[in-house]
Amino acid sequence: MPTSVPESRSVEPLLQVSGLSAGYGKIGVLNGIDLTIGAGEVVALLGPNGAGKSTLLKAISGLLPRTGSITFAGQDMSKADPGETVRAGLVHVVEGHRVFTQLSVIDNVMLAGYGMPREKRVVQVEEALAFFPDIAAKRHDRAVTLSGGQQQMLAVAQGLVRRPRLLMLDEPSAGLSPVLVDRVLAAVARLREAGTAVLLVEQLIEKALAASDRVYALARGSIVLEASTGEDDLPNRLEQAYFGKDAHAPLAS
Amino acid sequence: MFASIVSYGLAVGAVYALIGITYNVMFSASRVFSFTAGMLGMLGGVLGALFINGLGMNAVLAFVLVMVAGAVLGLVTEILTVRPVLKSIEQHLYVLSTLAFALMIQQVTAIEYNTEPQPFPVLFPIDPNSWLGIVDQKFWLPVLACIVTVLGLEFLYRCTLIGRAFLAIAEDSYAARALGLPETRLRMASYAIAGVIGALAGFTGAQMLLAFIGNQAILNFYGFVPVALGGMGSNRGAVIGGLALGLFQQAANFLVGGIFASVAVFAVFIIVLLLRPEGLAGAAAARRV
Amino acid sequence: MTDATSPISASKAPAGLLGRLEGSWSWIALGLAGLLLPLLDDSYFGVIAQRAYIYWILGAGLNLVVGYAGQIAIGWVAMLTLGAYTTAALAAGRVGGVEWHPYLALIASGVMGAVFGVIVGLPALRLRTFYFAMTTLGFATIVTQVALAWKDVTGGGVGTPGPVFPWPFDPGWGFYYFCFILAALATWITSNIGSSRYGRALVAIRDAEVAAEASGIAKPKLLILIFLLAGGLGGVAGGLFSSLQSYITPDAFTFEMSVLFFIGILIGGRGSILGPLLGTIILTVLPEFAAPLVQWSTFLYAALLLVIVLVIPGGIADLLDYKNRRPLEQHREIVPRPELLSRIFDVKSGPSAITLANIALHFGGVRAIDGLDLEIRSGEVHGLIGPNGSGKTTTLNVISGYYRPNSGQLKLNGAELPINKPYARAAYRIARTFQTPRLVGGASVLENVMIGGTIDGSGTFAESMLSLPRHRRDEKRLNEAAMRALATVGLESLADVRADRLQHSELRFMEIARALMLRPAFLLLDEPAAGLSAEEIRRLGALIKAISREGTGVLLVEHHADLIFDICDRVTVLNLGKTLAAGTPAEIRSHREVVSAYLGA
Repeated sequence: MPTSVPESRSVEPLLQVSGLSAGYGKIGVLNGIDLTIGAGEVVALLGPNGAGKSTLLKAISGLLPRTGSITFAGQDMSKADPGETVRAGLVHVVEGHRVFTQLSVIDNVMLAGYGMPREKRVVQVEEALAFFPDIAAKRHDRAVTLSGGQQQMLAVAQGLVRRPRLLMLDEPSAGLSPVLVDRVLAAVARLREAGTAVLLVEQLIEKALAASDRVYALARGSIVLEASTGEDDLPNRLEQAYFGKDAHAPLAS
Repeated sequence: MFASIVSYGLAVGAVYALIGITYNVMFSASRVFSFTAGMLGMLGGVLGALFINGLGMNAVLAFVLVMVAGAVLGLVTEILTVRPVLKSIEQHLYVLSTLAFALMIQQVTAIEYNTEPQPFPVLFPIDPNSWLGIVDQKFWLPVLACIVTVLGLEFLYRCTLIGRAFLAIAEDSYAARALGLPETRLRMASYAIAGVIGALAGFTGAQMLLAFIGNQAILNFYGFVPVALGGMGSNRGAVIGGLALGLFQQAANFLVGGIFASVAVFAVFIIVLLLRPEGLAGAAAARRV
Repeated sequence: MTDATSPISASKAPAGLLGRLEGSWSWIALGLAGLLLPLLDDSYFGVIAQRAYIYWILGAGLNLVVGYAGQIAIGWVAMLTLGAYTTAALAAGRVGGVEWHPYLALIASGVMGAVFGVIVGLPALRLRTFYFAMTTLGFATIVTQVALAWKDVTGGGVGTPGPVFPWPFDPGWGFYYFCFILAALATWITSNIGSSRYGRALVAIRDAEVAAEASGIAKPKLLILIFLLAGGLGGVAGGLFSSLQSYITPDAFTFEMSVLFFIGILIGGRGSILGPLLGTIILTVLPEFAAPLVQWSTFLYAALLLVIVLVIPGGIADLLDYKNRRPLEQHREIVPRPELLSRIFDVKSGPSAITLANIALHFGGVRAIDGLDLEIRSGEVHGLIGPNGSGKTTTLNVISGYYRPNSGQLKLNGAELPINKPYARAAYRIARTFQTPRLVGGASVLENVMIGGTIDGSGTFAESMLSLPRHRRDEKRLNEAAMRALATVGLESLADVRADRLQHSELRFMEIARALMLRPAFLLLDEPAAGLSAEEIRRLGALIKAISREGTGVLLVEHHADLIFDICDRVTVLNLGKTLAAGTPAEIRSHREVVSAYLGA
């Protein structure tokens, strides 16, 4: 596992977010988030419940209205809708493996390539399915017949169809058995080899750290920690960051 | 008498079914029940009669124009009355916005066309004594239109990517948006398709129901009954419910009189709504808190 | 119009009102105009005015259905049709061969309207708005069809004559005053209801149904009463209409009349009485002065409806609501005064506990709660934490009666709590707040809080209708209790402000004030600290702690670990629907497994 920060980071970052705020109606969830992701970099986004991790992903992909600036691959995406971010190669796999249960597996994946030229779509759909032989074998079954883990893989496969430059995965391991979690995270490793950047929201801290180059921690709507995964004492620093500086009793270990 | 109950019942039932499908197509794309469904049915008849009888067009051209008009009205419905309301917090405002639009169109029709029922021309010159004329075209036309529509929609949903995109949006519009599907454009397309189906119902049913603005309210209600019975969004439910409603109505009309038929339909409608709000075929939806 | 001490005063009027206009002088002016109109001795004006009164008798009832309860009754003209034919047919002896006295026939119309109002309204008790809209539309269509077909009774397309009311309300100004008096009565009754706890409950059902249920408001019962009243008024209006028209045919009851009633209310603004009254009068009178436009009137009404819906959904009343456009102070601070709690909890109750034993709840294949034991004791703050999807809010919803657990027991002091009846919890003094504040945006903060005390009223619907003493005592008491609750949470200076103008953090405290109206034995708080600043969280914590010290058992679902560890007496940690750990905050903090599950290591 590489412990150094990839050099691409020092060049122009792939995704540059600054001063990003978002929320639901009157409830402000994020206040002024700054975050960068380099090309090909795998970044874990950690934080306690309700910290705003999913909200941050939605704000970046345009699923939520937001203020602040988002630059992706040199393009201004501050006002982009999900269709535009997806076409630019910034793909968001939302949490809860929300696949279309009434459609077949292959149709689910095809839809991810909606609007692409037919030949290109067919080729890239096969590429995406090749990541997950389990579900490729069930391509003509309706998605409702898949297990939760398979649905999650299907959701990730949908995210791969457009050969994204940055894939944002929101809790891909939620509700999966450990074996399946490893399989989903193995896909992340392969993506990184292929040069795809990944922003990974994960509850399983150790697995997330193992899969990533760098980590951001989010608490109460703000980034409270940024570190390379190689740094010492990271788990303890994370706990401190979560509970706030005035955590009374030290956490027993 | 039996033959006439069946032929009239199936024909009128096919029109109800088509209006029910019109409701469904709009509902699937937007979770909105639009009061423009009955208006489309009414206009299909009125515009057809106007183009052919009033302006002397040939039937094919008139048919095409009526379908185009339906599509355009569908688009206007989406842009003017649905899209602004979807953004608002109080989504039930769609009930009022679509109703208002439907009433405006109805009133323009009343003033510029006629408030009394007008005859609709015979479309196909078929000799009633030939074998083709055994069943009057006013009866088989709506049934044929219903079959064509159902097959067309099946093809669309099963064999085309855009059809699957419609299904995807109907099932989970949030996930569809996250995938980058052009939700707004797909919704507009759905409303255009619904416009065509509604106009088709009116055009093919008008030899029987006549070109009459009063059909708007009648179709709005009787077209919705099959949707309520068959479960919202279910086209199969709408077809079965529509045909059953048509047959029941005609049988009751002949056997016990119209008052009973109307009251019975209304009573069944309310009872089914109360006992099985999800429709006779639908699945119960979980309650949200 | 007759009620000089208008029950809706400017500051306390619900949702979107004609603000100050709704003071009493406008009622006096309207009443005088109505009384003195006969002095003009112009029978043309007289007829127009009578029509306006009749329309308003129906409109006043419809206003409760549409403007207060938010039910889209677009086919209410059917009640007018029904009432008109009932009076006409009975008075003419077309039913059973006996000629009814016109006044009796009129009463029968009211009864018919009430009965059918309830029948048509049944779907509204359970289903979403569109179904009810469609039912009323269908009913209107069918009533017309029946009127055409049932020739023996209705005369079919030819029609039937309406009755002439004998002295003292004989045709001319006698009948005029009859309509006037009934319209004034309808106004008085409906405005009494509108400003009573029943009116506030209706608006709460419309805008915040879940919160209404949690406050003990049973939607079906209340809506049935409203449909009875609105249907009855519609029927009476129909009876009068048949006499005014002197001859009725099905053509007289067009759907556009329904639209007129409806738009009159929407123009006037939801949740107001005077607004819709003026709206109805204007829409009735306007066509008389714009003859060339008469044939376009429906079109214009419909266009107006579209514009109102798209541009000013609050109605014109909202545009005129100056009071609520005055800017509020910018940097407001909420400073709760927990020391006032003892005035709310004036009666102490003995120790009690809610216990959950082995509760399990599945949604499809997902086990949301999987064998949970939990005890909430009076006088303690019990924290409930855990990762997303661990079943915290679901647990809260089981306790407050929204979900029926698949197995297990839910008891209060050893007795089973009823399941699936969220509105029954308030009677046990179990109150709650919501993850997203549920409020009536158009009503004042005070009224929002008063909703929380709905079950403490003792006056009946009929007493409220007639503003009898018990009703007035209820109002006074609820008002005082709400002011106390607001002072306690630190919001009393905002009591008269529309709730939707409050900041998010203020709404959180407002929900607590509403819950305090129940003098809760148990208080369930669903993430009350979400979206609050650090200082606000500290004050919230102190308030919650103080509430528990009054003997209330608090269940606190929260993500903010610091708040939980600060104020809880005991903490339960959930993971995957099961208890991962339970104990004192100190025990939990040193629990390695908890730290890893909660933080997700």
